[in-house]
Amino acid sequence: MSKVILEVNDLTTKYITRFHEDVYAVDHVSLKVEEGKSLGIAGESGCGKSTLALSLMGYYFPPLHFTSGEIIIDGQRITGMDPDTVRRTILGTEIAYIPQAAMNALNPTRKIINFIEDVILAHDPKVSRKDIYDLARERFEILGLPEDVLQKYPVELSGGMKQRTVIAVSVILAPKILIADEPSSALDVTSQKMVIKMLLDLMEKGMIKSMIFITHELPLLYNVTDDIMVMYAGQIVEKATAQEAVFDPLHPYSKGLMGSIIVPEKGLRNLKLSAIPGVPPNLKKPPTGCRFAERCKYVIPECKTHPIDLRETGEGRAYRCIFSEEYLRKVYQIG
Amino acid sequence: MKGYKKYFLNKLLWFVITLVAAVILNFILPRLMPGDPVAGIVARLAQGMSSSTGMKAVYEKYAELFGINKPLLTQFFLYVKNIFQGNFGSSFTQYPRPVLDIIKSSIWWTVCLQFPAIIVGWIIGNTLGAIAAYVKKGFDKVILPISILIGNLPAFGVAVILLVIFAVDLKWFPTSGGYGFDLIPTMSWQFVWSVIVHYQLPFWSIVLVAIGGQAIGMRSMSIYELNADYVKYARFMGIKDRKIVGYVFRNAMLPQVTGLALSIGTMVGGALVAEIIFSYPGLGYMLLQGILGQDYPLISAVTLIITLMVLIANFAIELIYGLIDPRIKAAQAE
Ligand SMILES: Nc1ncnc2c1ncn2[C@@H]1O[C@H](COP(=O)(O)OP(=O)(O)O)[C@@H](O)[C@H]1O
Ligand SMILES: [Mg+2]
Repeated sequence: MSKVILEVNDLTTKYITRFHEDVYAVDHVSLKVEEGKSLGIAGESGCGKSTLALSLMGYYFPPLHFTSGEIIIDGQRITGMDPDTVRRTILGTEIAYIPQAAMNALNPTRKIINFIEDVILAHDPKVSRKDIYDLARERFEILGLPEDVLQKYPVELSGGMKQRTVIAVSVILAPKILIADEPSSALDVTSQKMVIKMLLDLMEKGMIKSMIFITHELPLLYNVTDDIMVMYAGQIVEKATAQEAVFDPLHPYSKGLMGSIIVPEKGLRNLKLSAIPGVPPNLKKPPTGCRFAERCKYVIPECKTHPIDLRETGEGRAYRCIFSEEYLRKVYQIG
Repeated sequence: MKGYKKYFLNKLLWFVITLVAAVILNFILPRLMPGDPVAGIVARLAQGMSSSTGMKAVYEKYAELFGINKPLLTQFFLYVKNIFQGNFGSSFTQYPRPVLDIIKSSIWWTVCLQFPAIIVGWIIGNTLGAIAAYVKKGFDKVILPISILIGNLPAFGVAVILLVIFAVDLKWFPTSGGYGFDLIPTMSWQFVWSVIVHYQLPFWSIVLVAIGGQAIGMRSMSIYELNADYVKYARFMGIKDRKIVGYVFRNAMLPQVTGLALSIGTMVGGALVAEIIFSYPGLGYMLLQGILGQDYPLISAVTLIITLMVLIANFAIELIYGLIDPRIKAAQAE
């Protein structure tokens, strides 16, 4: 087993809203990402994917609050660290993040190069502007971005270019792990492909060691990440390799996600389309039993009465369902 | 830059069109007021004169003098021609004093009152608004209601309140005028002191109104910016909060610049209330005098100055703003 870059144990975080109703958007999540590996996180909107991404960085500000658990990045435990130390020594340098709304992620009145200066100087005030410029230009060149982008304001860039610029800026301090939150969702198909290729390139060229790729389209992760984790209502409902998650999903929710999207990807063309009926539960008052029970085709009364644990099946695979693997595979085959 | 040039020419064209329309309206509107100004003057001049032919002669002389017996169109072209020569004619009410002279002596009172008041109000208002947005708790709960209260009081309300409390009740400051009525404008200490004392109430009445309006605007702009996605991203890239607050306030401030330029542009119009209530000898007060006396040349000249300043301010805002805010610059390019 190779080195673990990111290890998360039993992490729970919550939003404290204005009316003091807590939203447990990340509920006892554990995960591991090894060096050279990428993890995909899939789930419908509102399942807590973005909240998980934010929670992983160990730097919280209202309304998001840390509740319990542990985050270890490259052997260093960052939970419990002083926030300013996290800011200076972890953010951007160990772990970096591409926000879901990357279109609006850059300060509209600051040139790209000035923002890069701000990022670098926030970690090391001694670097000269010239060194920063040289580094930025070199990185942009490697990533196939035109140098003149550096002198532009974000509003002067197209959507796809903005997205790629944000990616380039995110990895400027060579973080070990990059979290990309729906990096391609708002883009047209061509830009989507470019962005995904760029992220894979980052791994290939060793500019980052590991990656987490978040999307609401599970099938998109096929051919992109090594492993897949499916989230539902703040919890992990399935963990598997990409191959398994796509071709042999165990949890009825994963199964549903596979059938819900048109996929032009090679090898996935003959999947049947069907959206999962219903909507995810309100996280202010999550159901006591299986959180997916309300929408599950295979539900039995026991599903709703007691919480379901995440079951390990060996070799890193796990799923959160009352039924056995064999039973699930059988019912899926019948259809 | 090509896009900007086109933008510039477009704005310039509109500036000229608005200006022409404004000059025409400035000329016509006062003349549509009911009443005959010359009759008023003649009545004053002819006091004691008994022969009606004598009155008629005086009337015709003045009508000729002011040009109001000519057709309106001719009057208009004369008016425009004179404006270009810097000649606004003679005041009806203070005849034969040239309007230009009246304006020259009153405009500085207005500028010296308004300009500092607007700037001070703008700075204090924006600072308070930004602090209210950032600190939120407590402070916000105090500043916001007070700002809303002051910002929504009509300007004359604030002026009257100050007048009643500090001039009438407490007698700390005089109730009216730009300086003691028993003084002659000289550079003596006594005179300067008198000017300073007379300055306070009109000044603070304008500052207070400006603070209220600016603080509310700045607060909501800052709150909006503080929740923007770029703030989150910058935080997670490890940028210090202090720097991010700098981003936020710069971005929130840019639209406020428009407010500043506009209030400078509408300075003379805005001065009306404070000047009238405190009988401050500025342009606003002169305009009121002009209206009361149906003094066409004076009214036209003052309103022309107001219009010009507003137009220039607007024009300048759009040009400068297009340069300093890349968001607008990009929008122009489209
Ligand atoms: N700032 C916030 N305050 C309160 N609740 C929030 C906030 N942001 C997200 N949530 C809630 O947390 C849950 C998870 O949201 P999110 O992490 O954005 O999901 P996803 O990224 O999977 O779409 C949702 O129920 C959402 O309503
Ligand atoms: Mg999200």
